[in-house]
Amino acid sequence: MTRWTLLVVAAIIAAGAGVYFGLSGRSTRDASTLLALSLPNTSGHQEALSQWKGKVLVVNFWATWCAPCREEMPEFVKAQGEFGPRGLQFVGIAVDEPDKAERFAQELGLNYPVLIGGYGAIELSRTLGNRVVALPFTIVVDRRGRVAHTHLGPLKPSELRAIVSQLL
Amino acid sequence: VALAIAIPVFGQIDPLPPERAFRFTARALNPQTIEARFAIADGYYLYRDKIRFSVEPAAAGLAVPPLPEGKVKEDQFFGRVETYRGGLMVNLSLKNAAVGQKVVIVAESQGCADLGICYPPQVQRVTVALPAASAAPSRGGTQSKSWLD
Repeated sequence: MTRWTLLVVAAIIAAGAGVYFGLSGRSTRDASTLLALSLPNTSGHQEALSQWKGKVLVVNFWATWCAPCREEMPEFVKAQGEFGPRGLQFVGIAVDEPDKAERFAQELGLNYPVLIGGYGAIELSRTLGNRVVALPFTIVVDRRGRVAHTHLGPLKPSELRAIVSQLL
Repeated sequence: VALAIAIPVFGQIDPLPPERAFRFTARALNPQTIEARFAIADGYYLYRDKIRFSVEPAAAGLAVPPLPEGKVKEDQFFGRVETYRGGLMVNLSLKNAAVGQKVVIVAESQGCADLGICYPPQVQRVTVALPAASAAPSRGGTQSKSWLD
């Protein structure tokens, strides 16, 4: 049985049990494809996600044209400041133009890296649970490099804190 | 109130794929006029300034009238923006199309859902066969495509 077949079967079982599988959920999938990504930052320099292996990594797909994305980001700034010293690392992947992403990052005073995601990056989010390929989409990777949580839509501050506290 | 309703719903309802949330159709009203429609699902909205129409072949000469006014929304980053809910209908004109010619109406749009998600820009295409002057309106066949494909 292929991995895809297993995922489909798992989704059907979860749906049958009344558990919503796609918007938010725990997961134990391997994050190696995500961690193998290398994307340009807003200055055009390539950044490999593998540089943050061993940390609790929160990868947030966002865009300036996505109001719900922008609204949740101040909370990410707070969490990065608070939990960063304990090994939490946020990374934003902007599905956007570099200058717009940079302008917003500066306005908000983002304290974590923003990379510019192309088609491959957003398509990858589909394989990690973002079935309708919408934003914001957030993936939490544990210290062992496994996808611990995925979430489509704004992450509530209390949920974010509960997830990362458990993994740190 | 909207927020109070949206929060419990968010955890249970599967968001629609964009081509179902923003269903695009087009039909020829006569050899020079195409009626273009977006049917927007409840709880979803399109941004007025992100809507673009074009025709293939471009030589058919599409003229797009000003879009109707939308609902004004203040965006903290983009300022005043207008959105459409429910639906949008626009009559497009073809200046150089031949009677009986097949044209493709291309609609680009970008929208969001009240659930708190936004979709990347989408491109939907509908092939429309232009009728003879006296023929009844002919509905086109829709084909949706994400810009990511």
